[in-house]
Amino acid sequence: MTTAGLAVFVFVGFLLPVPVLHWLDRPRPPADAGPGPSTE
Amino acid sequence: MYAGHFAVGLALKAKEPRAPTWGILTGVGLLDLLFGPLVLAGVERASVTPAISPGFTLDYIDWSHSAAMAVFWSLLFGLLFLRFGSRVAGVMTLAAFSHFLLDLPMHPPDLALWPGSPIHLGFGLWQTLPVGWWVIELGLIAVAGGYYLRRSKASEEFGGRPYAVLAVLLALHLSNSPWLSPL
Repeated sequence: MTTAGLAVFVFVGFLLPVPVLHWLDRPRPPADAGPGPSTE
Repeated sequence: MYAGHFAVGLALKAKEPRAPTWGILTGVGLLDLLFGPLVLAGVERASVTPAISPGFTLDYIDWSHSAAMAVFWSLLFGLLFLRFGSRVAGVMTLAAFSHFLLDLPMHPPDLALWPGSPIHLGFGLWQTLPVGWWVIELGLIAVAGGYYLRRSKASEEFGGRPYAVLAVLLALHLSNSPWLSPL
């Protein structure tokens, strides 16, 4: 690997995980409250 | 250090859930995000050293990684988040500066006090413990990741998939191991 390759490798290595971890860290949607009240 | 930076960032997120995750994670890597373009621009210098841990030497990284510049970049980064409140801005500053603090034990003495300073810091675990540094970083990931896991389970504001987050951290750490790293 060249020095330029190392620079790109480090840059991409620190950039790429950001959106992935951000996405995985988002709050879980509220649990389904189950079926609504019966209309019968 | 690589995945350990992200682990500490996630622990900071767990401490201050109002802070945007993307911001914290960008912050913990900020100095290396600056390092890449500065090397390509010829401002900073590094050399590839195959078979010598960690696979490269950082010959001149004073503008991205010196202590004074780390303080400067961290404060500047924190200022960008003032609209989220002073506490969040403070956490962002800490996230960015944590990079310097975590690099300190790993790097050989290549972290200048300020650009051009003859005094360089670094305890050199990369070189004195060619495998042990990886285990030490794994311990840091375990502690920080464990904190994130515990806090995320008690919160509905963040951490919806904590085990997937931990799996990504471990995958990143494995990819940077002495056995698998391409460097």
